[in-house]
Amino acid sequence: MSYAYLFKYIIIGDTGVGKSCLLLQFTDKRFQPVHDLTIGVEFGARMITIDNKPIKLQIWDTAGQESFRSITRSYYRGAAGALLVYDITRRETFNHLASWLEDARQHANANMTIMLIGNKCDLAHRRAVSTEEGEQFAKEHGLIFMEASAKTAQNVEEAFISTAATIYKKIQEGVFDVSNESYGIKVGYGGIPGPSGGRDGSVSQAGGCCN
Amino acid sequence: MQETELHDLSDDADYAASQQHGSASITRSDSSKRSSSSEPEGAEIVYLKDNVTIHPTQFASERISGRLKLIKQGPSLFMTWIPYKGQNSNAKLSERDRNLYTIRAVPFTDVRSIRRHTPTLGWQYIIVVLSSGLAFPPLYFYNGGVREFLATVKQHVFLVRSAEDANVFLVNDFQDRLQRTLSSLELPRAVSVANGTPTSISVSESPNGNQERTDEGFYDGSSSTSQYNGRQKQKLHDPARDPLIHVLEKFSLVTKFARETTSQLFRESHGDGFSANGRRIHNQSSLDYPRKASDEPQKVPDEIPQKVPDEIPVPSDPCEKTSCRNQNHGEEAATNVGSFELIDCKEFGKLTVWGKPRLPPLGLEEWATFLDSEGRVMDSKALRKRIFYGGVEHRLRKEIWAFLLGYHSYDSTYAEREYRGSLKKSEYETVKHQWQSITPDQAKRFTKFRERKGLIEKDVVRTDRSLSFYDGDDNSNVNLLRDILLTYSFYNFDLGYCQGMSDLLSPILFVMKDESESFWCFVALMERLGPNFNRDQNGMHSQLFAISKLVELLDSPLHNYFKQNDSLNYFFCFRWVLIQFKREFEYEKTMRLWEVLWTHYLSEHLHLYVCVAILKRYRNKIMGEQMDFDTLLKFINELSGHIDLDAILKDAEALCICAGENGAASIPPGTPPSLPIENGSLYPQQDDDDVL
Repeated sequence: MSYAYLFKYIIIGDTGVGKSCLLLQFTDKRFQPVHDLTIGVEFGARMITIDNKPIKLQIWDTAGQESFRSITRSYYRGAAGALLVYDITRRETFNHLASWLEDARQHANANMTIMLIGNKCDLAHRRAVSTEEGEQFAKEHGLIFMEASAKTAQNVEEAFISTAATIYKKIQEGVFDVSNESYGIKVGYGGIPGPSGGRDGSVSQAGGCCN
Repeated sequence: MQETELHDLSDDADYAASQQHGSASITRSDSSKRSSSSEPEGAEIVYLKDNVTIHPTQFASERISGRLKLIKQGPSLFMTWIPYKGQNSNAKLSERDRNLYTIRAVPFTDVRSIRRHTPTLGWQYIIVVLSSGLAFPPLYFYNGGVREFLATVKQHVFLVRSAEDANVFLVNDFQDRLQRTLSSLELPRAVSVANGTPTSISVSESPNGNQERTDEGFYDGSSSTSQYNGRQKQKLHDPARDPLIHVLEKFSLVTKFARETTSQLFRESHGDGFSANGRRIHNQSSLDYPRKASDEPQKVPDEIPQKVPDEIPVPSDPCEKTSCRNQNHGEEAATNVGSFELIDCKEFGKLTVWGKPRLPPLGLEEWATFLDSEGRVMDSKALRKRIFYGGVEHRLRKEIWAFLLGYHSYDSTYAEREYRGSLKKSEYETVKHQWQSITPDQAKRFTKFRERKGLIEKDVVRTDRSLSFYDGDDNSNVNLLRDILLTYSFYNFDLGYCQGMSDLLSPILFVMKDESESFWCFVALMERLGPNFNRDQNGMHSQLFAISKLVELLDSPLHNYFKQNDSLNYFFCFRWVLIQFKREFEYEKTMRLWEVLWTHYLSEHLHLYVCVAILKRYRNKIMGEQMDFDTLLKFINELSGHIDLDAILKDAEALCICAGENGAASIPPGTPPSLPIENGSLYPQQDDDDVL
């Protein structure tokens, strides 16, 4: 399928926070509670439309366990966007965000757009991290933030798309040299204006972000 | 290629040995003859430190001491670490093992970072990490000198302290991206493929003078520069050459006739296309797709359409040629390598059947013939060989896996096994009771236990739940997985639990059905695969490193391709290795593969040859479509469920035999699934005047 741009995403965060479920909900629009744990990395892809441009998201879903960090780091290379996920019902997954962020900052391209996602917001009765804390963390570190549920699909679409919209906006603003694939962006055959074209920043954003 | 050249090199064991070393390694001929005067002209030693030591194992007797040097040649700085020959006191490792760790003239352009460790007790050491992501083993400075080392490096290359970690020094950090961009712009890819021959001799041909590559080659002059100059072009354009030499070197009885034929083959292959990539890239219309020119039937996987764009020349597979040699001179090869009946195809060039045909799985009646009246396995080697070629029927797995995994010994009787089983059962219950007796109050103060339990509970419900054996709510087998893993994490508290273990346990429980037996079989498996799950991932790194050495040995064009594409870390094989291909095949096939691997019949490391076999099967697609690291990773991931197990096993068998001792030497001692190196191994000690 032709696309104007291809964005590489990476999903990171502690094990069991729902990374694979978020991906599956986004790509297949279904929730699969019994899903084999991820070893190494899995891939998903979906086409979205931003500003009437077809954009392909190629999403890398990584294994969360600490022991695999040295491997996970090699996947950051050339990612345009990252979804950093924690589980709102498990405090420790929130506490580990800083170390994930450090990894991302160290191994990814500096212009990578990072979306912080507090997953499992359908389990509000077991909440261990407040929305405000999530917002605060995102604000401090310059991330986009959303709470989502891979189970109910709440905000899942929005999380992926608003990340893409942010990246798209950066392209429009000339932040990236899109011919350099190390930014995690590939130019496709879908007919696109160059970085110089259409700087009005009008991005048809599906769903806002809480930043 | 001239025949004489083949002669003198294939007979030169040092030359052949030197070919085994890292991509950045450079041939250095017989050091006993040359000792310290082997630096090439114009090179200056700017740093020299003795008694810099590698600790390949935990045993003090197996440490390898050597001399670390920094050498300045023109604008470039190189690092070498050469082990002393014939260390008199502690030489428990063979010369070959020591050579494996030798660092031969690594240019600092290939170095990403240096990490300094300054423990309060013990020696300071450094870890040098290459741009490829691979790291050399820690270098311990017995005589101190780390600071001086770093200071010297800093005088000659751009070295900055990492902002994140004061002990990490980044090399050439500022130009990384620029460098990459430049090299991708200026160098036609195909030239690079040819250039990148791992043991490349001076490659001064590249018109734009790619500094990195040129420098890499300088050191080789030690084995007679002038001699090489005349051949440069041939070396350069003949990536297939090295593996052949290895094979020839291994088959020491190879006749003159064989050599002549071989060099003939390579002359032909020159004309065939891949050798001329560098020049032809500018004139693509004249390219012959190399495989078309030969009569060799291509191995095309059934499931995945293999579409190779015509315009990309793919260097042909050196192993297919070496296999011609094997087959044509099968008898000779067989006597040298061992007693393998594999090489039965005499017809030159017919390469479809390499390995021995697979047999049907071992059945009940045949199994009975392996046992004496009291239940001992009479000839365990014959049994392992039989299973290697066909596996076993499912109903026999419970009984036979216990032997293969080492839970029961082959010479035990029925009665002994039964007795041992009951002892082991109570031993299991004892360990299990340790965590079962932890009260909720105690658990509150036992974070490590809570974390482990939580992780295991999360993972067992995400393991093979689509199988009826593990499906449904509150499945008792899932609970067994949990109990066994938790018990194991107490049995081996240091290792604990790591993701991937449930994948390894699942088929074992499925086969054994019994909790205690499953536990002990899992314990036996983890004796070998435990290092896969070490926190520092050293077991994984050593296996990935060994794969890269094997590919270098068995398919140097593919190796060069990976090198060129920044993929030498072989992370795309990570899942294969970590859980023994569990996610790549359907359940039944996985069990078949495992029992074949566990026979250790040809090699303990057959799984590494399986990796190479799969990569080689798709080599043309990988290179033809110019896959970069990301694409490769995705491609490999998506091979899951599409790999023909029997065909791959046959290939792996053939590759293992083909690689022979050189293959074995490419795998560092102690690499999983080898058991940890035993202290008692004795190797001949050599006297050498290089000893300090």
